[in-house]
Amino acid sequence: MASSETSTDDSLYPIAVLIDELRNEDVQLRLNSIKKLSTIALALGVERTRSELIPFLTDTIYDEDEVLLALAEQLGTFTPLVGGPEYPPLESLATVEETVVRDKAVDSLRRICEEHNTEDLETHFVPLVKRLAVGDWFTSRTSACGLFSVCYTRLSVATKAELRSHFRSLCQDDTPMVRRAAAGKLGEFAKVVEVEYLKTDLIPMFVALAQDEQDSVRLLAVEACVSMAGLLQQEDTEMLVMPTLRQAAEDKSWRVRYMVADRFIDLQKAVGPEITKTDLVPAFQSLLKDVEAEVRAAAAGKVKDFCQNELVTDGNQHVKSALAGVIMGLSPILGKDNTVNHLLPLFLSQLKDECPEVRLNIISNLDCVNEVIGIQQLSQSLLPAIVELAEDTKWRVRLAIIEYMPLLAGQLGVDFFNQSLSKLCMTWLVDHVYAIREAATNNLRKLVEKFGADWASQNVLPKINAMSRDGNYLHRMTCLACINVVGEVCGKDVTTKTLLPTVLAMANDNVPNVRFNVAKTLQIIGPHIEKESLHSQVKAVLDRLNDDPDTDVKYFASEALTDSRPSGSTSLVLRSVLSCSVPETARDARFPAGRPRRGTASGGQRMPSSETPLIDKH
Amino acid sequence: MAPGGKDAMGDCSDLDRQIEQLRRCEVIKEAEVKALCAKAREILVEESNVQRVDSPVTVCGDIHGQFYDLKELFKVGGDVPDTNYLFMGDFVDRGFYSVETFLLLLALKAGFDELESEDIEDVLASHTEELTNEDLQQLTEHSSVEDEDDEEPPQRKLTTKRMAEAFNMIQHIWKVRYPDRITLIRGNHESRQITQVYGFYDECLRKYGSITVWRYCTEIFDYLSLSAIIDGKIFCVHGGLSPSIQTLDQIRTIDRKQEVPHDGPMCDLLWSDPEDTQGWGVSPRGAGYLFGSDVVAQFNDTNGIDMICRAHQLVMEGYKWHFNNTVLTVWSAPNYCYR
Repeated sequence: MASSETSTDDSLYPIAVLIDELRNEDVQLRLNSIKKLSTIALALGVERTRSELIPFLTDTIYDEDEVLLALAEQLGTFTPLVGGPEYPPLESLATVEETVVRDKAVDSLRRICEEHNTEDLETHFVPLVKRLAVGDWFTSRTSACGLFSVCYTRLSVATKAELRSHFRSLCQDDTPMVRRAAAGKLGEFAKVVEVEYLKTDLIPMFVALAQDEQDSVRLLAVEACVSMAGLLQQEDTEMLVMPTLRQAAEDKSWRVRYMVADRFIDLQKAVGPEITKTDLVPAFQSLLKDVEAEVRAAAAGKVKDFCQNELVTDGNQHVKSALAGVIMGLSPILGKDNTVNHLLPLFLSQLKDECPEVRLNIISNLDCVNEVIGIQQLSQSLLPAIVELAEDTKWRVRLAIIEYMPLLAGQLGVDFFNQSLSKLCMTWLVDHVYAIREAATNNLRKLVEKFGADWASQNVLPKINAMSRDGNYLHRMTCLACINVVGEVCGKDVTTKTLLPTVLAMANDNVPNVRFNVAKTLQIIGPHIEKESLHSQVKAVLDRLNDDPDTDVKYFASEALTDSRPSGSTSLVLRSVLSCSVPETARDARFPAGRPRRGTASGGQRMPSSETPLIDKH
Repeated sequence: MAPGGKDAMGDCSDLDRQIEQLRRCEVIKEAEVKALCAKAREILVEESNVQRVDSPVTVCGDIHGQFYDLKELFKVGGDVPDTNYLFMGDFVDRGFYSVETFLLLLALKAGFDELESEDIEDVLASHTEELTNEDLQQLTEHSSVEDEDDEEPPQRKLTTKRMAEAFNMIQHIWKVRYPDRITLIRGNHESRQITQVYGFYDECLRKYGSITVWRYCTEIFDYLSLSAIIDGKIFCVHGGLSPSIQTLDQIRTIDRKQEVPHDGPMCDLLWSDPEDTQGWGVSPRGAGYLFGSDVVAQFNDTNGIDMICRAHQLVMEGYKWHFNNTVLTVWSAPNYCYR
């Protein structure tokens, strides 16, 4: 490219400078010059390029890697400039230690190779490949691996045989790096080799490489697998390739298994539907259950493609159901009947899987299945499993189930819900993990919203009231938390008659935490209480709590009484009802200087209740 | 989301938001740490060496800077103030979030009322730019933003407004304070010497660029109580017993406001371990002692207590009984050192 553009207007002087700079001590200058190499060659003409420039370049092989890289690239375009195949610099470059230089040199050699006729190849290129293939250093042998496939097809039968034998020795090289290069190029070599030799020569090499002691070699053999399988007849693939592939899918190194998972779609296309069904599906299943997360992740990423490919070509139920166990997302693809017949059993078994993540995944994706088969069908088949999971030892699993409850409740209807799930919902309220109790409380609000106050009065409130007498103070507080959320939904009548007495009774609890939560609850449900009760009962209790020996009880009681919070409809209502009876002076005494701040106990010991103003001293 | 429990608590106990602020490590500026520590000192100095705690209370062991595990702990156990907590020391070192862990616990315990004017200057300077002295004066005098002169240029107003927002935010965050709901006692890692070796010192230096915060915190360490007693029946201490201590009253007489000494009763309380022997043994830790079941029986009998609750040692299940349920080890740092 550079040559054609610059050929016309380059005078000789700049060329001299460029040639000069090829020798310059400054790496950057040499580099610039190398990048203009085609220009120089053009100016020098074919003859001088061959006799002077190339030998000179051959000498510079001991330069910086960066310069060599540029050189290797430039030389790939040199054929027309030298008027024939002359490779010495590239051959040397293909043996240097720096990988990128070597790779570039090999690339250039591959490009040059295509420009030559059979005769040139036989006289120049093939000897070069052979020299590299038997070179002392692994670097040259590594480079050789990449040169077989480009020239092979155009050679004589005898030379072909020679090359195959060279390739075989490279596959058996002592140095793993060389075997790795050979394994990497095996696929492309297989594509150009005649099928008969593929079977007799390359397959044994492939089998050997696939059993190499180095996993980095084995995993490259998986790559080759894709090309090989694509080239062979089905029965040959089955006989010659599949045993190795099966092995690779169960390789002891996760990197090899990862490679299988990563190339799975290609493998699937290469082996065809029949082998996919008999062999790949089980292999895929085991990859999805692999002990290494990376392998599972790679496999999981292929699920959709795998099954889409599969469903296009094959309606096999086994294939479908095997995949169904892994993702719920298949359900929409398969439709209702297939989901019910083939997926549900698998969902059920996955729900009972030992690993909590699997269970969690199934549960949190239930809605895609729900859309397809409907909640009735889903709940009937999955309910027993859900009930079982509701008591799972991992609280995050329980949490996931709870979050699914409002949806289930809405779709199942009251009767069915009462029969099967309402007991569970109440059990969660006394879970030993706070996050579960919190979620259960929240769930309760949604249920009451859905089923209404009557349902709550009959099914929920008696249980909540019973909780107010629980031996564990944390559960007594959950009772208050429940009242906070159901009060609004239940309406004034129920709240005043049923909930309020419970709350007020708890004001005598011997644990301060319960008492200050009584104050908070009174503040929250205030707007849903009949005015008379608010005046007579609530205020009396709050006043008493405001004289409590515990600092925090006092604080929250006074908050409820005075409601210093500026926003929130609840506080406004409470204040409007109570403000007439709370003397402003009392409030000022507690929080002087316009600072509605919390008082601090000045010590760990409880403050005697007579010392009402708890003001910080600074 | 409006989970009942959380909403019901109102804004005073918005632990999540506070954790969020702490986690981002943006708002706890040096000046705020200073003010927080000053407040904490006021509260802690009044506490007894054997701090009285009432049941019910949730007792926790070592946290070691595992902030996210502390968060998890609150998820399982419930938020402060609804659940009462007693933390038995070793809040810092080893984990990556010692600063956040200790300051969160301290904030729940102490909070602070307001910043001194010089502190406000520092804090606002780090939150906003272009501060003028007038602005500062306004803010430190608590004058309301809305009362500003209408004729002020809009640019100026914006700056002041932003500052006021920042200021309100800070004030709000530290409003929480539950000295009676959360008890913190000292562990052997709450020490200048140990924190310089096991990470807290380096973390402070890395996060603040100076050791000022480390110095504030280590000063507070000296004020932490040495032990606690629940309902007069359960004695809680970080390490264990000391041969120089027979009665709780002897602990009460220790002058604890000092760096943890290399030996003596105060050191032993924070360093000792129970061991399946009789009498006293030499501790492989190089500080404190190993104490046997007879020592525990004697101590419990003398002081009329039922059991000793302590932390200090990794136990995989989170807790472990010793000596026929008279000693309980509690550990609250899961996956400690990736175990």
